[in-house]
Amino acid sequence: MRKIPRLFQMIGIILLIYFSFIVLFDYLLDQVIPSSLLRMYMFFIIAGVVAVFTFTEGSTEELLAPIMEMMENPEKRKVRNAVLTVMPILVGAYLYSQMVPSVEAPVELRSIHPAPPSSVKLFGKRYNLQTLVNPLRKYEKDDPEKFRELVREGARVYIENCHICHGDKLDGQGLYAVRLNPTPLNFRDVGTIAQLQESYLFWRISTGGPGLPDEAAPWISSMPVWQDFLTEEEIWQVILFLYDYTGHRPRTWEE
Amino acid sequence: MQSGAKHGDKMRHLDWKCLLINSMLLFGSLCVLTLLSDPVYAAEELVEVTASNVISPPELTAADYPQILGLNSRVTVWLVAQLHLWFAAFVLAVPIFVFIIEAIGMWTRNRKYDDMAYEFIKVSITAFAITAILGGLLTFCLFLLYPHLMQYLSGIFRESMFIYALLFFAESVTLYIYYYGWHWLQGGNKKWIHLTIGLLLNSVGATLMFLANAWLTFMMSPAGVDANGVFSGDSWAAIHNFLWNPINLHRTIANIAFGGSIIGAYAAFKFLAASSQEEKAHYDWMGYTANFIAISALLPLPFAGYYLTAEIYAYSQQMGITSMGGVFAWLFIIQAVLIGVLFIAANYYLWCGMGRSEGAYRYNKYIKYIAVVIVAAFLVWFTPHTLILTNVELKALGGPYHKYLGPLGIMPAKNTAVNLMILFTAISVLLYRRANKIPTVSRVEIGNLVQIALFTAGIINIFILGTYYGYFTNTVYKIAASIPQVLTTLIIIGISALIDLVIYKGAKEVAPLHWGRIPDRAQYALFLVAVAFTWLMGLMGYVRSGLRQHWHVTDVFRDNSVEAFTPTLGYAASVVSVGVVIFMAMLIFIFWISQVSSQKTVVHGYWKTT
Amino acid sequence: MMQLIKIVVFSLLTIGFFTAYSYYGIPQIIPAPPPEKEELDLEGITTADLIVLGERIFKGKGACTLCHNDVGGRAPMLDDIGMKAQENMADSRYKGTASSVEEYLYESLVDPSAYVVAGFGKMGTQDSESPMTDVRTGSIKLSEEELLVVVAYLQDLSGLDVTVEIPVGSTGTEESGQPAATTTQVVTTNTRAKYDSAEEILSQLACGVCHIVGHYQGLIGPDLSHIGGSRSKDYLRRAILDPNAELTEGYMPMMPPTYGDQLYASELEMLVEYMSRLQ
Repeated sequence: MRKIPRLFQMIGIILLIYFSFIVLFDYLLDQVIPSSLLRMYMFFIIAGVVAVFTFTEGSTEELLAPIMEMMENPEKRKVRNAVLTVMPILVGAYLYSQMVPSVEAPVELRSIHPAPPSSVKLFGKRYNLQTLVNPLRKYEKDDPEKFRELVREGARVYIENCHICHGDKLDGQGLYAVRLNPTPLNFRDVGTIAQLQESYLFWRISTGGPGLPDEAAPWISSMPVWQDFLTEEEIWQVILFLYDYTGHRPRTWEE
Repeated sequence: MQSGAKHGDKMRHLDWKCLLINSMLLFGSLCVLTLLSDPVYAAEELVEVTASNVISPPELTAADYPQILGLNSRVTVWLVAQLHLWFAAFVLAVPIFVFIIEAIGMWTRNRKYDDMAYEFIKVSITAFAITAILGGLLTFCLFLLYPHLMQYLSGIFRESMFIYALLFFAESVTLYIYYYGWHWLQGGNKKWIHLTIGLLLNSVGATLMFLANAWLTFMMSPAGVDANGVFSGDSWAAIHNFLWNPINLHRTIANIAFGGSIIGAYAAFKFLAASSQEEKAHYDWMGYTANFIAISALLPLPFAGYYLTAEIYAYSQQMGITSMGGVFAWLFIIQAVLIGVLFIAANYYLWCGMGRSEGAYRYNKYIKYIAVVIVAAFLVWFTPHTLILTNVELKALGGPYHKYLGPLGIMPAKNTAVNLMILFTAISVLLYRRANKIPTVSRVEIGNLVQIALFTAGIINIFILGTYYGYFTNTVYKIAASIPQVLTTLIIIGISALIDLVIYKGAKEVAPLHWGRIPDRAQYALFLVAVAFTWLMGLMGYVRSGLRQHWHVTDVFRDNSVEAFTPTLGYAASVVSVGVVIFMAMLIFIFWISQVSSQKTVVHGYWKTT
Repeated sequence: MMQLIKIVVFSLLTIGFFTAYSYYGIPQIIPAPPPEKEELDLEGITTADLIVLGERIFKGKGACTLCHNDVGGRAPMLDDIGMKAQENMADSRYKGTASSVEEYLYESLVDPSAYVVAGFGKMGTQDSESPMTDVRTGSIKLSEEELLVVVAYLQDLSGLDVTVEIPVGSTGTEESGQPAATTTQVVTTNTRAKYDSAEEILSQLACGVCHIVGHYQGLIGPDLSHIGGSRSKDYLRRAILDPNAELTEGYMPMMPPTYGDQLYASELEMLVEYMSRLQ
């Protein structure tokens, strides 16, 4: 059996990796891989594959041999002409497909966790978010009995107000969640409240969607401005509950 | 034999004496510095401050900023500062490794090292003049375009700015003696004096940079002033501000990597232009050494970067989130792309270099596995926290969260990935160093097994730290877990390098190393490293400065000029690119000029014959 | 040369790729413009916040702790100023015009030499002149509101109840037909020079538009040409600070209640003194 030329080996490997990504994410895991990400992945995979195929003189020559052969051998004129016609057309077609205006709405980018302002006015008072701590957190050590009570109170507030969107398992899969965009946060995810300080949550809950800064725009978050409906203490209680139920710890800088 | 021993004794005696002089000089300069920056001294200064000469930031309006020749003040200062920094980084870095190479040359008594060290410093001497010119230009620009800011800063830093000016003289003098005295101060005692001057040069250079760093970190994380920017009079507090040391560390390491990459580009250029085989061999060796230096500094650089970022977060959550999660989040994706390019190009150069010896062919089959790991680790590192999703994808996923790619977007995954990337680059280096050698000592097998075991255990440890502590504990541990990860990586690299030294002591050469036998492609990889590094430095310079957003001095001195806004990344990238092009053009000029001095045109009939 | 061109082209392509990626590879987020400058937001502020704010200014912008600290001994400590103020006002060396602790504190900020604590005066002046500057001037430059906030902080610091009231915009000026400009001046007049005489105050504040006083012949308000004969100083002071508290029979409550805010305490006293002499 004849050995497959290195050039086709290389192209084969690249295509194989490309389709494995698609099969793996889109079909096996049922979570599509974003095309923008896949494009960058492929760029570096191609760079890596080409590097491996060309780092010795011998293998580089072998790799380029079919191309040289095609370009220089008078007998391969037909193949050459065909390739030189088809390649530009393919490149052109790809470019066209990328540039042609489509009816799809433009991509909307939001920062999931926009930077908080340094201080914010809530409940008629000004809070410094850098130094603000949950006033109820201290009971966790000082008075566990009272702490449990506060968490239970937080659970009540959550079930009365939040669970319709954020879900009764705090996984962002509430009753209304399917119709919302952006979807409600999944608090159990390691990328959400586990990454944030309690003061950040206090800010986000109190001011809701309308309180998002411009960089998180276009804000289409339908989260209500909870400072209009809840008391300060209730918000701190519900924050206790969020961390308690999910088992995450709020972000702190020292233990 | 006997005379050799005697000579050795004499040398040791001299060593001791010169080391004494050396350390005395260093001690002396440290004393002076400590005195000058001593808190007591500063406290006396405080008494002088009365209510009438309080140094405080003024409230400015857009009209307070001078307009000169219709220049865009921000872009002007930005470009000039960046060019100054590139040259300064180069000029500060080169003496560091010239010093080391000179020392290696003295240790091994191999003339080759000394010649190369001299060639390195020769390249940087023209750059030194340009650095000074650009520094002067920058000062002019700052005082002309931002007079109020500079008045405020120079009020706070008057002592350190004055010391800076004095040190600059010291830097020039030591550099000139070091360079012009190179051939004069040769052999025995004189060589030690020369090396001492090299050390002095580096100490002065580092102090210069640390002082300048204090000014800019003060602007990021002001200290020694109250909430309204009124200066307390404690100069040392202002210098020793929160981000000073993280930036000092990060810049020192990055400078070495940058200097190495620029020298590498110089060698690559000379290699490609070389006509004789001998020249090719020389410049191949020089390029290899420069790249080795660049990689050695590149390996710990991400750790210094994480340390800096962690400190920024600790200083202000707002600033931290602005950098990593807010407007600058995408900048770090560009950074990831650039670092990926750097790692792949540097590795590629190493792999190509294995072609210098026939003995290396046995290792070729392993390269693809290294490549797979490096690329895979890189892809993890590159995955952004916020994915760009088309509406179709958004619907298919049911929201902006990706169940499998999402977790790759946060720190633990990236820490794990970067550690693996560094470990495997280290393996590339190890393989390269073994390329044409066969060990002669016994128990080689054991050494190899220990190394394999070490790497395996290390990789498993990094994985466990990254996944278990990264995802299943609270955030304090998440950050904390990165430290044992880093330690694992560094310990493995250190120990395996030691084992290698033992195993390959007096190793036989399988085949000769053919310096100069390397494809031109590899030289382009060196250019790629240099260009990517320069561009990356420009980009990171932008974000470091941009983090302050609309503040001259964070939360204390507001920028009210028309250019106070934060530009888009594309705009910033364009400015950086323009800067890189100017920098490259100036570099080519420097390379060319260092060549001109050695050229002679013989003319006939021009001069009167006497 | 060929090599050089190749290298240059290669480098430019690399730079071009990085630039293009920054433009097209990632989303171009336009960052939010710098936020508008934060004004001292005193609208509806609670006393507790007033004190916090005052402390911030005291330790920060005001640079007060530079001298008023317990190590330097360059200025008296202020933690007992509430008690001391009464004594100081009663002291024979007191040159000021304050009649309450609040006024005393305010006066000491804008006219520090009114009373100099023994031993803290300028060298060679026998404690007749204070080394402290008027905090409305120079680099400290506190605004009128900031002064009041600091006074509130000092009251709290020394254990007194905070009596400072923050000037509230313009109340009832619409009906009285007064031009809005005169009332909103409250916020902007932070560093004008002092009026030299009561006559100047009369002309600056346009008292004669409504009153018969001096050579003015206003007919809207009560005639003041002999007011000193029938009213006490206290009454006059109150009539300026809170004009609608007690109305002269037959007149409507239309005098703006903001003149007190437009005058320094010493000027107010000057005016009261002047009026009491109109017999």
